[in-house]
Amino acid sequence: MSEQTEAATPGESADASGLLDRWDGLRERESFSIAGAIAFVVVFPMIFTNLPAYNGYMSLVELIYIWAIFAIGFDLLLGYTGLLSFGHAVFWGGSAYAAGLFSANVSGEPLLIVLVAMVTAIVLALIIGILSLRRGGIYFAILTLAFGQMMYFIALGPLGGITGGEDGFTGVTVDPLLGALELGTGFAGVLGTLLHDIGYVLFAGFFVLAVAAAVRIVRSPYGAIFQAIAENEQRVRFLGLNVWRYKLAAFVISGAFAGVAGGLHTIHAQYVAVGSLFWITSGDIVIITVLGGIGSIFGPVTGTIAFLYVENIVSGEIAFWLLVLGALFVTVVWLFPAGIWGIVTGIRSTVREQLLGDDS
Amino acid sequence: MSVVGSVVGFMIQTLAVSSIYILVAIGLSITLGTLKFVNFAHAAMYLAGVYIGLGIALELQFSGDLARSIGLGNVGLDLGFLAALAIIPIITFGLGLLMERFVARPFYDRPDTDQILVTFGILLIVQELIRAFVGGRSLTFSRPAWAEGAISLGPLGTYASWRLAIIGITSVLVLAVYLYIEYTDVGLAVRAGTEDTEMVNLLGVRATRPFLVIFGVGSGLAGAAGVVGGPVFSVVPEIGVGVLVPAFLVVVVGGVGSIVGSVVGGLLIGAVEVGLVMNAPTWSSVGIYALAAVVLLVRPAGLMGAVEVDE
Repeated sequence: MSEQTEAATPGESADASGLLDRWDGLRERESFSIAGAIAFVVVFPMIFTNLPAYNGYMSLVELIYIWAIFAIGFDLLLGYTGLLSFGHAVFWGGSAYAAGLFSANVSGEPLLIVLVAMVTAIVLALIIGILSLRRGGIYFAILTLAFGQMMYFIALGPLGGITGGEDGFTGVTVDPLLGALELGTGFAGVLGTLLHDIGYVLFAGFFVLAVAAAVRIVRSPYGAIFQAIAENEQRVRFLGLNVWRYKLAAFVISGAFAGVAGGLHTIHAQYVAVGSLFWITSGDIVIITVLGGIGSIFGPVTGTIAFLYVENIVSGEIAFWLLVLGALFVTVVWLFPAGIWGIVTGIRSTVREQLLGDDS
Repeated sequence: MSVVGSVVGFMIQTLAVSSIYILVAIGLSITLGTLKFVNFAHAAMYLAGVYIGLGIALELQFSGDLARSIGLGNVGLDLGFLAALAIIPIITFGLGLLMERFVARPFYDRPDTDQILVTFGILLIVQELIRAFVGGRSLTFSRPAWAEGAISLGPLGTYASWRLAIIGITSVLVLAVYLYIEYTDVGLAVRAGTEDTEMVNLLGVRATRPFLVIFGVGSGLAGAAGVVGGPVFSVVPEIGVGVLVPAFLVVVVGGVGSIVGSVVGGLLIGAVEVGLVMNAPTWSSVGIYALAAVVLLVRPAGLMGAVEVDE
């Protein structure tokens, strides 16, 4: 107590910077990101559904989590490994169809559906990855786009009998979670306010898991090599590492995230549209991730919230929302490559410099 | 019909389909070869060809919500198909110059992914502008009256004169660009740039001007493809990507940087598509991707490609 008062006047700013250091130390921890994700899923719906104007709704909150998983996985490829895929609709839509077919013919257990969806996406990512990585650099975007469109036409034409063709797949049947917990069952009391219902726990839970998995990958030595490839592929090759193999691994991991998201989307929508395989879906995930900010975990989440909010809520007010979004997208690519999240972190560090700037 | 007749019939259909893909692919292939620039916005040139071409040849109905709210009606010059075919390449050539100068050039020094993203964004904006002004529904781009009906080629059978017209127009355009690249100084600089861009710069050749011109030429061809393709493919805002993807496949199959490669790739893609439409219609849209996959596995640089574009 007495020590504190003695040091009070000269140590004011030192104390502040000590606090900041401690805060930084905390932020550096992996558990911080996970705790942040958990806090987010508790607080976000309360804010999002109670906005003063144009408020969101619960189903959209769940949809945001699903797309956010997709976007986080996409950013592992684009932001961390530096590979731009224009065919990620394959993994989203392909796994969604697999999930739908599995639920209709084998089992409606949500966890099994997601597992099947993920495995499907991994297999697809292996095949398309091996083909698309045959040619280096700039060809990757072209080839993933092409093979993405191929899957769309396969689902529409030759496989039309199983996929339902243009009408989409309608036979989705989802059973209660673990055989007992109906997804629509709400919680009572405090749990009800915080976690809403079983379905919400399922989607939010997978979102938190995805954040945790992504943070783990990014911080692992393996993930460090992904980032090294994005920085300077040649040097990684000089180190004796097989760049091609790491690129394929990043592609497959990214596909697995998209697969989980696609499976969850089938559970959420109880329907699979053939548009989920179309190039526009691939374009959407590119826009979401780049708008939000590549090379971070929470950038894609920010992008997802912004995109789905505009698409579902604001679109009623601005008919040409996609035109506005396109213009915004070009602006971001041209002038703010770090995206919305980059602007946020930029402001944060400016504020910190202002706070600490006085004594330096 | 004789065997010869059905073979000729197949060839003429293939040539007609290939023509449009080749016209779009040449521009893509040259910018990829010389500038190492992936241009998704190339599809916007095709869209400009289709929609502006429709306005010049016949009449363009502005039925989009935005057009209605500012009271824009129909605009049509009604000059006919040939006038559109003459004017559109000039317009898209100019648009191509503008795009090179103000979009592509600032991005030459930026990462590949940024180039792709910005051109994708511009394609998206053009597509949505069309949707806002013209509307999203499918329009009809009627064939010119002189190309209706059929022409008899003696013992070889009778063929739609429209197909023959497409083949004729494309042959003239492709041949002209081929001669331009083979026998002019601009073409020489472009060919040298495809082989080794760095070396061209070291030798003191100012390659900026040839690259600008060739970007415009590629755009002009894509615009012409829009006029020719308008009556063949559907006229909707999404058709830009619908044509861009096969054109990319043409480049992948044929190899980058050469007109011969684009022609060979285009003919193969067209032959596979037409062959499947005739024999296994449900697979017709899938076959061209399978062809590209096979070429990638067997000959990653493309059939005519000597230059490997990497990183």
